[in-house]
Amino acid sequence: MTGPVALKAAYVVTWVIELGYLWYLLGRYRRVRREMKDLKRSS
Amino acid sequence: MKSLSIAFIIFTLALLGFSTYQGLVAAPTEATMGDVQRIFYYHVPSAWVAGVCFFVNFLASIAYVLKRGSNADALAAASAEVGVVFATIVLITGPIWARPVWGIWWTWDARLTTTLVLWLIYVSYLILRRFAAGGQTQMLAAVLGIFGFVDVPIVYFSIRWFRTQHPSPVMGGGQDSGLAPPILHAFLWNLLAFTLVGIVLVAMRYRLQKMENQVEEAHAQLALEGGAR
Repeated sequence: MTGPVALKAAYVVTWVIELGYLWYLLGRYRRVRREMKDLKRSS
Repeated sequence: MKSLSIAFIIFTLALLGFSTYQGLVAAPTEATMGDVQRIFYYHVPSAWVAGVCFFVNFLASIAYVLKRGSNADALAAASAEVGVVFATIVLITGPIWARPVWGIWWTWDARLTTTLVLWLIYVSYLILRRFAAGGQTQMLAAVLGIFGFVDVPIVYFSIRWFRTQHPSPVMGGGQDSGLAPPILHAFLWNLLAFTLVGIVLVAMRYRLQKMENQVEEAHAQLALEGGAR
Protein backbone atom coordinates (compact mmCIF):
# COMPACT_ATOMS: atom_id res chain seq x y z
CA MET A 1 0.00 0.00 0.00
CA THR A 2 1.51 3.33 -1.06
CA GLY A 3 1.31 6.55 0.96
CA PRO A 4 -1.42 8.35 -1.06
CA VAL A 5 -3.58 5.19 -1.19
CA ALA A 6 -3.18 4.73 2.58
CA LEU A 7 -4.13 8.36 3.18
CA LYS A 8 -7.30 8.03 1.09
CA ALA A 9 -8.18 4.68 2.68
CA ALA A 10 -7.78 6.02 6.22
CA TYR A 11 -9.81 9.12 5.35
CA VAL A 12 -12.63 7.04 3.84
CA VAL A 13 -12.64 4.62 6.80
CA THR A 14 -12.90 7.51 9.28
CA TRP A 15 -15.90 9.05 7.57
CA VAL A 16 -17.65 5.77 6.78
CA ILE A 17 -17.49 4.85 10.48
CA GLU A 18 -18.66 8.28 11.70
CA LEU A 19 -21.46 8.63 9.14
CA GLY A 20 -22.43 4.99 9.64
CA TYR A 21 -22.77 5.59 13.36
CA LEU A 22 -24.80 8.74 12.74
CA TRP A 23 -27.09 6.76 10.41
CA TYR A 24 -27.48 4.06 13.08
CA LEU A 25 -28.39 6.70 15.71
CA LEU A 26 -30.96 8.34 13.41
CA GLY A 27 -32.52 4.91 12.73
CA ARG A 28 -32.86 4.30 16.48
CA TYR A 29 -34.36 7.78 16.90
CA ARG A 30 -37.01 7.02 14.27
CA ARG A 31 -37.85 3.72 15.95
CA VAL A 32 -38.16 5.18 19.45
CA ARG A 33 -40.31 8.09 18.18
CA ARG A 34 -42.64 5.63 16.46
CA GLU A 35 -42.88 3.62 19.69
CA MET A 36 -43.66 6.78 21.66
CA LYS A 37 -46.48 7.63 19.26
CA ASP A 38 -47.89 4.10 19.51
CA LEU A 39 -47.77 4.26 23.30
CA LYS A 40 -49.62 7.59 23.34
CA ARG A 41 -52.28 6.17 21.07
CA SER A 42 -52.73 3.05 23.19
CA SER A 43 -52.87 4.86 26.57
CA MET B 1 -32.85 25.08 22.92
CA LYS B 2 -33.52 23.24 19.65
CA SER B 3 -32.28 26.16 17.52
CA LEU B 4 -29.17 26.39 19.71
CA SER B 5 -28.47 22.69 19.09
CA ILE B 6 -28.92 23.12 15.33
CA ALA B 7 -26.59 26.16 15.37
CA PHE B 8 -23.99 24.10 17.27
CA ILE B 9 -24.24 21.24 14.76
CA ILE B 10 -23.88 23.65 11.81
CA PHE B 11 -20.87 25.29 13.48
CA THR B 12 -19.32 21.85 14.07
CA LEU B 13 -19.82 20.83 10.42
CA ALA B 14 -18.30 24.10 9.19
CA LEU B 15 -15.32 23.67 11.50
CA LEU B 16 -14.95 20.07 10.33
CA GLY B 17 -14.78 21.25 6.70
CA PHE B 18 -12.19 23.89 7.62
CA SER B 19 -10.07 21.48 9.68
CA THR B 20 -10.17 18.87 6.91
CA TYR B 21 -8.86 21.52 4.50
CA GLN B 22 -6.14 22.39 7.03
CA GLY B 23 -5.08 18.76 7.40
CA LEU B 24 -5.25 17.64 3.78
CA VAL B 25 -4.30 20.81 1.88
CA ALA B 26 -2.94 23.69 3.96
CA ALA B 27 -0.53 21.76 6.21
CA PRO B 28 2.91 21.18 4.67
CA THR B 29 3.91 17.70 3.54
CA GLU B 30 6.07 16.06 6.20
CA ALA B 31 9.66 15.50 5.03
CA THR B 32 10.29 11.84 5.94
CA MET B 33 6.86 10.17 5.59
CA GLY B 34 5.31 12.31 2.86
CA ASP B 35 1.55 12.68 2.44
CA VAL B 36 0.68 9.59 4.49
CA GLN B 37 1.65 11.55 7.63
CA ARG B 38 -1.63 13.48 7.14
CA ILE B 39 -3.42 10.48 8.70
CA PHE B 40 -2.06 12.00 11.93
CA TYR B 41 -4.71 14.77 11.66
CA TYR B 42 -7.56 12.37 12.31
CA HIS B 43 -5.82 9.39 13.93
CA VAL B 44 -4.63 11.37 16.97
CA PRO B 45 -7.81 13.51 17.43
CA SER B 46 -9.86 10.29 17.28
CA ALA B 47 -7.69 8.79 20.04
CA TRP B 48 -8.16 11.99 22.08
CA VAL B 49 -11.96 11.90 21.71
CA ALA B 50 -12.06 8.20 22.63
CA GLY B 51 -9.98 8.90 25.76
CA VAL B 52 -12.20 11.82 26.79
CA CYS B 53 -15.35 9.73 26.22
CA PHE B 54 -13.97 6.92 28.41
CA PHE B 55 -13.10 9.49 31.09
CA VAL B 56 -16.69 10.82 30.97
CA ASN B 57 -17.90 7.22 31.24
CA PHE B 58 -15.64 6.76 34.29
CA LEU B 59 -17.03 9.89 36.01
CA ALA B 60 -20.64 9.03 35.13
CA SER B 61 -20.11 5.46 36.39
CA ILE B 62 -18.85 6.78 39.74
CA ALA B 63 -21.84 9.14 39.91
CA TYR B 64 -24.18 6.22 39.19
CA VAL B 65 -22.61 4.02 41.89
CA LEU B 66 -22.95 6.85 44.42
CA LYS B 67 -26.44 8.14 43.56
CA ARG B 68 -28.10 5.57 41.22
CA GLY B 69 -29.35 8.37 38.98
CA SER B 70 -30.71 7.50 35.53
CA ASN B 71 -29.03 10.60 34.01
CA ALA B 72 -25.58 9.38 35.07
CA ASP B 73 -26.33 5.94 33.63
CA ALA B 74 -27.54 7.43 30.34
CA LEU B 75 -24.38 9.57 30.09
CA ALA B 76 -22.20 6.53 30.85
CA ALA B 77 -23.92 4.50 28.11
CA ALA B 78 -23.66 7.36 25.58
CA SER B 79 -20.00 8.16 26.23
CA ALA B 80 -18.91 4.50 26.15
CA GLU B 81 -20.59 3.91 22.78
CA VAL B 82 -19.15 7.05 21.17
CA GLY B 83 -15.75 6.21 22.69
CA VAL B 84 -15.85 2.79 21.03
CA VAL B 85 -16.67 4.42 17.66
CA PHE B 86 -13.60 6.68 17.87
CA ALA B 87 -11.38 3.89 19.27
CA THR B 88 -12.41 1.77 16.26
CA ILE B 89 -11.24 4.57 13.95
CA VAL B 90 -7.90 4.65 15.81
CA LEU B 91 -7.45 0.88 15.51
CA ILE B 92 -8.16 0.91 11.77
CA THR B 93 -6.35 4.09 10.70
CA GLY B 94 -3.27 3.12 12.76
CA PRO B 95 -2.46 -0.05 10.77
CA ILE B 96 -3.29 1.75 7.50
CA TRP B 97 -0.67 4.34 8.47
CA ALA B 98 1.78 1.71 9.77
CA ARG B 99 1.86 -0.39 6.60
CA PRO B 100 3.62 2.14 4.29
CA VAL B 101 5.78 3.60 7.09
CA TRP B 102 6.83 0.54 9.16
CA GLY B 103 6.27 -2.11 6.47
CA ILE B 104 3.87 -4.04 8.73
CA TRP B 105 0.18 -3.70 9.57
CA TRP B 106 0.45 -4.59 13.24
CA THR B 107 2.92 -5.45 15.97
CA TRP B 108 2.26 -6.51 19.55
CA ASP B 109 4.02 -3.55 21.14
CA ALA B 110 2.78 -1.95 24.35
CA ARG B 111 0.84 0.96 22.77
CA LEU B 112 -0.97 -1.09 20.15
CA THR B 113 -1.74 -3.98 22.49
CA THR B 114 -3.07 -1.81 25.33
CA THR B 115 -5.21 0.12 22.82
CA LEU B 116 -6.70 -3.13 21.52
CA VAL B 117 -7.35 -4.24 25.11
CA LEU B 118 -9.03 -0.89 25.81
CA TRP B 119 -11.31 -1.37 22.80
CA LEU B 120 -12.17 -4.90 23.96
CA ILE B 121 -12.99 -3.66 27.49
CA TYR B 122 -15.50 -1.09 26.21
CA VAL B 123 -16.98 -3.44 23.60
CA SER B 124 -17.52 -5.87 26.52
CA TYR B 125 -19.13 -2.99 28.42
CA LEU B 126 -21.59 -2.38 25.56
CA ILE B 127 -22.33 -6.13 25.22
CA LEU B 128 -22.96 -6.31 28.97
CA ARG B 129 -25.43 -3.42 28.77
CA ARG B 130 -27.17 -4.97 25.78
CA PHE B 131 -27.50 -8.58 26.87
CA ALA B 132 -27.24 -8.84 30.68
CA ALA B 133 -30.53 -9.89 32.26
CA GLY B 134 -31.92 -8.78 35.63
CA GLY B 135 -32.03 -5.52 37.50
CA GLN B 136 -28.30 -5.19 38.22
CA THR B 137 -27.16 -4.44 34.66
CA GLN B 138 -26.59 -0.72 35.22
CA MET B 139 -24.61 -1.31 38.42
CA LEU B 140 -22.48 -4.04 36.80
CA ALA B 141 -21.84 -1.74 33.83
CA ALA B 142 -20.85 1.11 36.16
CA VAL B 143 -18.37 -1.08 38.01
CA LEU B 144 -16.90 -2.30 34.71
CA GLY B 145 -16.68 1.34 33.55
CA ILE B 146 -14.74 2.31 36.68
CA PHE B 147 -12.26 -0.59 36.57
CA GLY B 148 -12.03 -0.58 32.77
CA PHE B 149 -10.85 3.02 32.81
CA VAL B 150 -7.59 1.87 34.46
CA ASP B 151 -6.37 0.95 30.95
CA VAL B 152 -6.69 4.55 29.63
CA PRO B 153 -3.64 5.96 31.50
CA ILE B 154 -1.75 2.74 30.68
CA VAL B 155 -2.40 3.37 26.96
CA TYR B 156 -1.30 7.00 27.33
CA PHE B 157 1.92 6.25 29.25
CA SER B 158 2.83 3.04 27.36
CA ILE B 159 5.06 4.94 24.91
CA ARG B 160 6.84 6.58 27.84
CA TRP B 161 7.21 3.43 29.97
CA PHE B 162 8.20 0.95 27.25
CA ARG B 163 10.31 0.94 24.11
CA THR B 164 7.71 0.60 21.33
CA GLN B 165 7.41 0.45 17.56
CA HIS B 166 4.85 3.22 17.93
CA PRO B 167 6.54 6.67 17.85
CA SER B 168 7.50 8.40 21.09
CA PRO B 169 5.24 11.25 22.24
CA VAL B 170 5.32 14.17 19.79
CA MET B 171 4.13 16.61 22.42
CA GLY B 172 5.38 16.80 25.99
CA GLY B 173 7.81 13.97 25.33
CA GLY B 174 11.12 15.65 26.12
CA GLN B 175 13.67 17.89 24.40
CA ASP B 176 13.43 16.40 20.90
CA SER B 177 9.65 16.24 20.82
CA GLY B 178 7.32 18.87 19.38
CA LEU B 179 5.58 19.75 16.13
CA ALA B 180 6.52 22.34 13.52
CA PRO B 181 4.18 25.37 13.90
CA PRO B 182 2.19 24.81 10.63
CA ILE B 183 1.66 21.14 11.49
CA LEU B 184 0.69 22.03 15.07
CA HIS B 185 -1.74 24.65 13.72
CA ALA B 186 -3.53 22.12 11.46
CA PHE B 187 -3.49 19.52 14.22
CA LEU B 188 -5.15 21.84 16.76
CA TRP B 189 -7.95 22.72 14.31
CA ASN B 190 -8.61 19.02 13.78
CA LEU B 191 -8.44 18.32 17.49
CA LEU B 192 -11.08 20.99 18.12
CA ALA B 193 -13.32 19.80 15.27
CA PHE B 194 -13.18 16.14 16.35
CA THR B 195 -13.88 17.14 19.96
CA LEU B 196 -17.01 19.00 18.85
CA VAL B 197 -18.11 16.01 16.72
CA GLY B 198 -17.65 13.84 19.83
CA ILE B 199 -19.77 16.25 21.91
CA VAL B 200 -22.55 16.26 19.28
CA LEU B 201 -22.59 12.46 19.07
CA VAL B 202 -22.58 11.98 22.87
CA ALA B 203 -25.40 14.55 23.23
CA MET B 204 -27.47 12.75 20.55
CA ARG B 205 -26.82 9.34 22.06
CA TYR B 206 -27.62 10.64 25.57
CA ARG B 207 -30.96 12.04 24.40
CA LEU B 208 -31.75 8.77 22.64
CA GLN B 209 -30.98 6.80 25.82
CA LYS B 210 -33.35 9.04 27.80
CA MET B 211 -36.11 8.52 25.21
CA GLU B 212 -35.58 4.76 25.23
CA ASN B 213 -35.77 4.76 29.05
CA GLN B 214 -39.08 6.66 28.84
CA VAL B 215 -40.49 4.11 26.38
CA GLU B 216 -39.33 1.24 28.59
CA GLU B 217 -40.97 2.85 31.65
CA ALA B 218 -44.20 3.44 29.71
CA HIS B 219 -44.24 -0.22 28.60
CA ALA B 220 -43.72 -1.33 32.22
CA GLN B 221 -46.52 0.99 33.38
CA LEU B 222 -48.89 -0.37 30.73
CA ALA B 223 -48.03 -3.93 31.71
CA LEU B 224 -48.73 -3.12 35.38
CA GLU B 225 -52.07 -1.50 34.52
CA GLY B 226 -52.98 -4.48 32.32
CA GLY B 227 -52.08 -6.88 35.13
CA ALA B 228 -54.13 -4.94 37.68
CA ARG B 229 -57.32 -5.19 35.59
